[in-house]
Amino acid sequence: MEQLIKDLKLQIKEALNLEELSLEDFDADAPLFGDEGIGLDSIDVLEIIVLLEKEYGIRLANPKEGKAIFKSVRTIAEYVQANRKK
Amino acid sequence: MNIQVAGYGIICAIGNDASAVLESLKAGRTGIGPMHYLQSVHKELPVGEVKLSNADMLRMLGQDETTIISRTVLMGAIAIRQALEQAGIATEGKRVVVINGTTVGGMDVTEHFIRQISEEDDLLPLLKKHDCGSSTRQMADLAGLADAEVCTVSTACSSAVNAIILGSEMLKAGEADIVIAGGTEALSLFHLNGFNSLMILDKEQCRPFDKSRAGLNLGEGAAFLVLTHNLVKSEELRVKNNSHKLECMGNSDSSLLTPNSSLYIRGYGNRCDAFHQTASSEDGEGAYLAMCDALQMAGLKPEDIHYINAHGTGTPNNDASESAAIRRVFGEEIPPVSSTKGFTGHTTSASGAIETVICILALRHQFLPANLGWKEQDEACIRPYGNSTLINSKFKTGICTSVLCNSFGFGGNDSALVISSVPTGSSPEESRFKSEQLAEATILSADGELDGQALRQYISAGEARRMSLLMKASTLSSMQALREAGIECPDAIITATAYGMLETSEKFLNDMLEQGEETLSPTLFMQSTHNTLSSAIAIRLKCHGYNMTYSQGSDSLRWALRDAKRLIETGKARTVLVGLHDEATPTLQNIFRRMGKPVPPRLYSRSIILGRSPASD
Repeated sequence: MEQLIKDLKLQIKEALNLEELSLEDFDADAPLFGDEGIGLDSIDVLEIIVLLEKEYGIRLANPKEGKAIFKSVRTIAEYVQANRKK
Repeated sequence: MNIQVAGYGIICAIGNDASAVLESLKAGRTGIGPMHYLQSVHKELPVGEVKLSNADMLRMLGQDETTIISRTVLMGAIAIRQALEQAGIATEGKRVVVINGTTVGGMDVTEHFIRQISEEDDLLPLLKKHDCGSSTRQMADLAGLADAEVCTVSTACSSAVNAIILGSEMLKAGEADIVIAGGTEALSLFHLNGFNSLMILDKEQCRPFDKSRAGLNLGEGAAFLVLTHNLVKSEELRVKNNSHKLECMGNSDSSLLTPNSSLYIRGYGNRCDAFHQTASSEDGEGAYLAMCDALQMAGLKPEDIHYINAHGTGTPNNDASESAAIRRVFGEEIPPVSSTKGFTGHTTSASGAIETVICILALRHQFLPANLGWKEQDEACIRPYGNSTLINSKFKTGICTSVLCNSFGFGGNDSALVISSVPTGSSPEESRFKSEQLAEATILSADGELDGQALRQYISAGEARRMSLLMKASTLSSMQALREAGIECPDAIITATAYGMLETSEKFLNDMLEQGEETLSPTLFMQSTHNTLSSAIAIRLKCHGYNMTYSQGSDSLRWALRDAKRLIETGKARTVLVGLHDEATPTLQNIFRRMGKPVPPRLYSRSIILGRSPASD
């Protein structure tokens, strides 16, 4: 699980071009969206959906399904672990 | 001065000419169905294709059917020929201007041949027809208008309405005798996959304003209007207004509205939502302002509008935002509204012209087009007119003479038109003011390096992460020019660009060709449209004013400056930010080398602030 969280942090940082964010400061439990936390938006949701399909073979058909999954890096990791195809 | 519609042509999923379109509208027959001509792996996505092959269209235009010409160009030329034939006016010796709204240009040809082009020099000329400006030139030539001046407006999905607005402004200013304005856009793998990456395509038939709506269906097509100016004498106007009043009182026998009635572009508005690249604001500010401007110019009150052809794409976001805007303008008394995208699909850059022609047909033939697919009321949305076409509606008693047509695009480029059978009789527009240049800033970078310190002054790291080099350069030159002029927010923003967002478009296209039509980046696609630059600056400055993008090759800046001067001289704006922004990616530089042409710099961005000269106050 910890390795998966580490991988995801790196993949998200790269996919979203979060150059200024150091991996040490990237808290696995910090909210990804909204003003408190990382501050991502709806386009980032779509990019993360692309990332999950590319890296883990997970297909999300509806961005709305992602709301609960994309709360934090940890919730994404839990979802990936349960649903990954590769 | 009135802008009269002298003729119109249309080709789309529900018909190859106006009479076929009329028949489908009346019968409530959709043109959306399984993909036939577009060669995509996404067969699950229904589309509104024109039911003709490229060879069919080439034959219709008297061309050799093996010629390689973009479908965008072919459909546009067919619609223009129809419009000219209907107008039946001589163009010889007249100042004729063709104004085209398009975004994808020759993309259908480029995406098909790009791999071969990269190896075979013989195919290089195909790329010369890729950019919007060149495809518009080719379309005008094919339509028999080789002597006409041409201009391309590219504000994504509102392009065609903005082309009609520009044409009307040029006629009012006496810059042209005849304008042929509209838009054309063929389906391409590029934008089908782009919209798919944004997850806003419905796998079912689209259902605008319905509670279960889940996205749009893409369509293709073209429509053009022949516009002329018409000075209606005051006596004539009095007679027309009187007969209009008689008719409004229910005297339906002396029907003023016949299939041959004169129709006018009576009002229009172009505004920017200044909210987000791909989403509309909750209260629909841009749409609201555009509709208000259109009504004000038309000299009409909300209750004078008797039908609204909504933009109504079928996405949850657009329909809720547009409904909020319509409610703000019309209050409790909302006239019949329908989105006709359930018939045609969303024809993107062409949609504004296609829907304007649908409005014209509705006015002339007195029917209310259905909002196909609508079943259940959504509280967040207006209740559309109904899901079947009503023939011999209130139009018959002459109650309806004016309709509103909405057209919105990415980046919040929101426009609206009022089309009416009653002219206004206003006097010609006069130049009342003089314009002058207030400031200028230029960024030229041969290798793509930008001044990091200057960038950080205006662009935060969070913003920069999503900005391509051209976006950064255009933001920087714009902010520097505005600062020099001491202006925080200009009244209008106008961008000129020959090639637009090459870096992001090219990357998206390459990804699509290399990895296939899956897992493509939505960020790249949302930054591929030419109007990305103008709208990004509007979003930054929260500028809800006029927002326009020209893409006509090396003439782009000339068109942009002409527009800016017209806005200032007629008193519509006091300050205008005009930018010429272009980039040459390594691929484009290589193509120029292979063609033996001078290689353009990696980045060029020039921002000019025009203002009202104090001498003219």
